[in-house]
Amino acid sequence: MPDVRVSQLYKTFGDVTVLHEVDFTIRDGEFFTLLGPSGCGKSTTLNCIAGLEKPTGGTITVGDTTFVDSTAKIFRTPEERNLGMVFQSYALWPHMTVAANLAMPLTIRKASKKDKQQRIADALDKVGLAHLADRYPHQLSGGQQQRVALARALVYSPSVLLLDEPLSNLDAKLREQARAWLKALQAELGITTVYVTHDQDEALALSDRIAVMADGRMLQIGTPKEIYETPAAPEVAAFVGRCNFLHGQVEKTDDDHVHVRLDACGEVVEVTGDAQPGQQVTVAVRPERLTVGPTGTGLPCEIVTSAYVGSHHEYHLRLGDQTVQVQSPRGDLTGAVGLTFAPEAALLYPRPLS
Amino acid sequence: MTTTLVTPRYRRFLGAGRELWVQYAVLGLLALLVLAPVVPTLYQSVLDRPLYEAGGILTADNYVRLFTDAGFGTVILNTALFAVGTTALTLLIAVPMAIAVVRTKLPGARLFAAAMQWPFFISSLILGFGWITLYGPAGFVSTQVRSWIGTVPWNLYSIPGMAVTEAVALAPIAYVFCANALRQSDASLESAAQVCGAGPLRILFSVIVPMLRPPMVYSSILVFSMSVETLSVPLLYGQPVGIPVFSTFLYSNGLQSINPDYGILGAASALILLVTVGLVALQAKLLKDAQRFVSVRGKATRPRRLDLGWINWVSIVAITFYVIFGALLPIGGLIFRSFTLIFTPLQSPFKTLTGANYERIFTFDAYTRSITNSLIIAAVGAVLVSALSLLAVIVARRSTFKYRRAVEYLALAPQAMPGLIIGIGLFWAFAYAPFGAGSLIQGTLVALIIGFGLRALPSGFGSIAPSIMQLGAELDNAARVSGADWVRTFTRILGRLMVPAFAGAMILTFVTMLKEYSPAIFLGSADSNILGTTMLELWVQGNTGSVAALATIQIAITAVFVGVAGLLMRGHHDA
Ligand SMILES: Nc1ncnc2c1ncn2[C@@H]1O[C@H](COP(=O)(O)OP(=O)(O)OP(=O)(O)O)[C@@H](O)[C@H]1O
Ligand SMILES: [Mg+2]
Repeated sequence: MPDVRVSQLYKTFGDVTVLHEVDFTIRDGEFFTLLGPSGCGKSTTLNCIAGLEKPTGGTITVGDTTFVDSTAKIFRTPEERNLGMVFQSYALWPHMTVAANLAMPLTIRKASKKDKQQRIADALDKVGLAHLADRYPHQLSGGQQQRVALARALVYSPSVLLLDEPLSNLDAKLREQARAWLKALQAELGITTVYVTHDQDEALALSDRIAVMADGRMLQIGTPKEIYETPAAPEVAAFVGRCNFLHGQVEKTDDDHVHVRLDACGEVVEVTGDAQPGQQVTVAVRPERLTVGPTGTGLPCEIVTSAYVGSHHEYHLRLGDQTVQVQSPRGDLTGAVGLTFAPEAALLYPRPLS
Repeated sequence: MTTTLVTPRYRRFLGAGRELWVQYAVLGLLALLVLAPVVPTLYQSVLDRPLYEAGGILTADNYVRLFTDAGFGTVILNTALFAVGTTALTLLIAVPMAIAVVRTKLPGARLFAAAMQWPFFISSLILGFGWITLYGPAGFVSTQVRSWIGTVPWNLYSIPGMAVTEAVALAPIAYVFCANALRQSDASLESAAQVCGAGPLRILFSVIVPMLRPPMVYSSILVFSMSVETLSVPLLYGQPVGIPVFSTFLYSNGLQSINPDYGILGAASALILLVTVGLVALQAKLLKDAQRFVSVRGKATRPRRLDLGWINWVSIVAITFYVIFGALLPIGGLIFRSFTLIFTPLQSPFKTLTGANYERIFTFDAYTRSITNSLIIAAVGAVLVSALSLLAVIVARRSTFKYRRAVEYLALAPQAMPGLIIGIGLFWAFAYAPFGAGSLIQGTLVALIIGFGLRALPSGFGSIAPSIMQLGAELDNAARVSGADWVRTFTRILGRLMVPAFAGAMILTFVTMLKEYSPAIFLGSADSNILGTTMLELWVQGNTGSVAALATIQIAITAVFVGVAGLLMRGHHDA
C-alpha cells in the first residue's frame, strides 16, 4: 500500500479560490481524515485525489505513480487511478443487483469468472451481507446500502480507499455501530484510507491522523490527541470540541507561567505558555477543564442557565460581559460562584493587534 | 488468494480518449444539422442569383427590393397585427383559466387541467380545418346562425379571425406557464393577506395577479414568436382572401410563382430568422432568470384555494365554452364531416352517412402512401431524434467537454427556426451539397426525416434533460472511480437508467413529427407526400370530405399510439 502525497494543491472555480496550496502526505496504511466545517473544501480535496475534479495547480502522487502534475500537464483520469470510493449517497447503481454492482469493476478489469465470484463472495462476506447478493439497492436498508457501497469500493483491491461522509445518512445509533465496524475493517485490511467528515467525534474516534481545514486551508495536521489537546490555532480549538475564549493582556511572566488580566472582568488568571508582558492574548479553556467552586475562589461568575444532558450537567455562566460554558458532574449549582482552572489546562494564543 | 487485477487502461486515438471523439462527433453532427439550413439561407439572401448557379455576386439588392417593391410592408403590418392580436387573446384566455383551475374551488379542475393537453394531439392545421368546417363562411354553425338572424356576425377569413383561432390553439402553452407559477407560489403570502382581513377578490388582485407577471411576460414572447412563424391558419384563412403574413409570403413566393425569386426568398427568410431567433433568445433568458427566482424562494407550500362565489360559476362557463367551442366541436365536427357527403344544418347529415371519403383515400395509391410515409417518418425520426437528443443531453449535462454549452444551444436552436425556413434552407443545402450528395436525398423521405427531425430536436432534448438532472452525479462518479471511462459509464449506467426518459422522448417526438408538415412544403416531392401536404392538396381541390377523413386518421393514429405507448410504459414501470 503506497503513500499519498499531495503538494501545493490549488483549485479555483471561476474566480473563487476553493483550495489554497494545500500540502499533506498520507502514510501507508494510515486512516487519514479531512475535517472541517461545511464548504471548507474537503470534498474538493478528495475529488482531486479521485480525479473527479481537475486541480488548477499542484501535484498528487500515489506511490510511484503521478496522478496530477500541473506543470508537467499530467492528469490521469479517475478510471485509470485504481482507487476505491464511497459516496455520501452511496451511489449504488439502481438497475443492478448487489452482485452486479460489485461485478462491474471486476468485468472492466477482465477478471475471470471464477475470480469474480470469489472476490464478490469475499467482499460481501467482509461486510456481512453475503445473503443479500441478489437484492436490488432499493430493497436494502440505508445501513445495508452503505456496506454494499463499501464492498463495491473494496472488491477490486484498490490502492487507496476514499470515503466522503459515508456515515452521514445513517441515524445516530447506526452511525456509532458503523463507525466501530469501519475502523475494525480498515485495520484488518490495512488499506490507506482518506476520510472526509464534518463530524469531529467521528474524526477523533476513527482516525490515525486528522487534517483540520477551514476556508480551503490546512490549519493543523496531527493525531486526534494532538488536535484536541494542543490545537494549533483558536479556530481548531473551536471546531474540535467546544472551547471558551477569554481575551486579555499579559501582566507579567514568571518562567513558563503567564499572568493574564482578562478584558471581561478585570481579574488575573495564570496560564502556562509563552508571551511577553503587555501582549494581547486569548486564553482558551475547554468547558470540562473548568471547575466551579464557592464564591471567593477564582473568577467571580453567576450561573445563568443549566441543562442536564445525561452524563453530566452543562452550565452557562456570566463572567463580566461574557458568557462561559462549563461542564460539571454536579447538578445543584446556582447563583454566584467562583470559576477556577489549572494553568496547564488552558491554552494561550497571541492575538494580532486589530 | 485471488489473482491480482490490472488497473484499466484505455486506448487513445491521436492523443485523445474515445469520449472526446464521441463528444466532438455529437457537436459536429448538431452543428451540421443546424447550420445546413441557416448558412445557405443567409448566403442566398446576399446573392444576385440562385445559389446553385455559377458566378454569383454578393449584393444587398435583395433586401432593397424586398422593402421597395415586393409588398413586404403590408406583410410586416399584417404579421404584427396578427401576432399582437394572438398574444393578447391568448393571455385573455389563459390567465383567468390558470387562476380558476389552480387557485379557486372549481369542480372538475383535474379533468380540465388534463383537457388542456389537447394541442399535443392535434395539429393547428387540423384545428384550422375544423374551425372552417364550423365557423367558416359556409360552415355548419355560420349557416345555422344565418338562418336564425339573417347574417353571420363574424368573418373568420380576416386578421381577427386568424388571431382568435391561433389563440385558441396556443392558449394551453401560456396556461401551462401560468399554472406552474401559481402552483409553485408561496401560499403564506395569501394567508397573511387573509389574516389582515382581505377578501378573496382582494387577495386575487393584490397577491395572485402580480405573481403572474413573469410567466405572462415570457409566455407572451413565446406565443408572439410562434404566431410570427405559424403557417397553418394564415394559409387556410388569409391566403384565399389575400391577407399575406411572413409565412404565407414565403409560401407563395417560393412555391406558387412559376419562377421563384430566390433572392427575395432568401432575404425574407433571413429577416424572419432574425426576428424569431431574437425572440426565442429573449424568452430563454427571461425564463432562466425566472427559474432562478423560483428556486431561491425554496420550498413551496400547498397552495390554498379561494372561494370566489358567483365568479366561480362565470369561470366554469367560460372554460367550458373554450373547450367545447374552441376544440371539441371543431374537431368533433371534422370527424363527423369525414363520415358524411354534405355537412350543413339545412339537411340532416345523418341522411348522407357514407364511407366514400375514406374509400377515395384508400383507392388512390398517392393518398395511402402519404399515410405510410408519415408513419415511416415519424417512427424512424422518433428513434433518431431521441437518440441524438439523449447523446446531446449527456454531453451537455454530464461531461467535462469544453464545448458542452454549445452542444446544448445547438440542440435547442431549431426552436427559433420556422418550419418553412428549415424547408427552404435544407432545399438549398441539398442543391448546393458537394458531390451531388444532395440530389440523392432531395425529395426523398430522408430529406423529410432530416427536416422534421430538426424541428423535433428541441422537444426531444427538453424532455430528456430534466430526467438526467434527477440522476445524482455520484452515480457516474462511482462508475468512473471504479474503472469505467466516460463512454462505458454511458453504456453501462447512464444509458440504462435513461431508458424511460428515452421512451418518453420517442413518444413525444413521434407525435410531433406525425403532426409536422411545413418543412415538407419545400422538401417534399410527389413520392414523398405526407398527411399534412396531402390534406393541403385535397383542401385546395375542394375535397373537404377526404381532408376530414385524413385528419381523422391522423388523430386516430396519434390516440392509438399514445394509448399503447402509455400502457407499455406503465407495464414496464410496474415490473
Ligand atoms: N462546481 C463548483 N462551482 C463553484 N463552486 C464550487 C463548486 N463545487 C464546490 N464549490 C465551492 O467550493 C467550496 C468547497 O466545496 P466542498 O464541496 O469541497 O466543501 P465541503 O468541505 O465538502 O463541504 P460539505 O461538508 O458541505 O460537503 C464551497 O464553498 C463550494 O461552494
Ligand atoms: Mg462535501
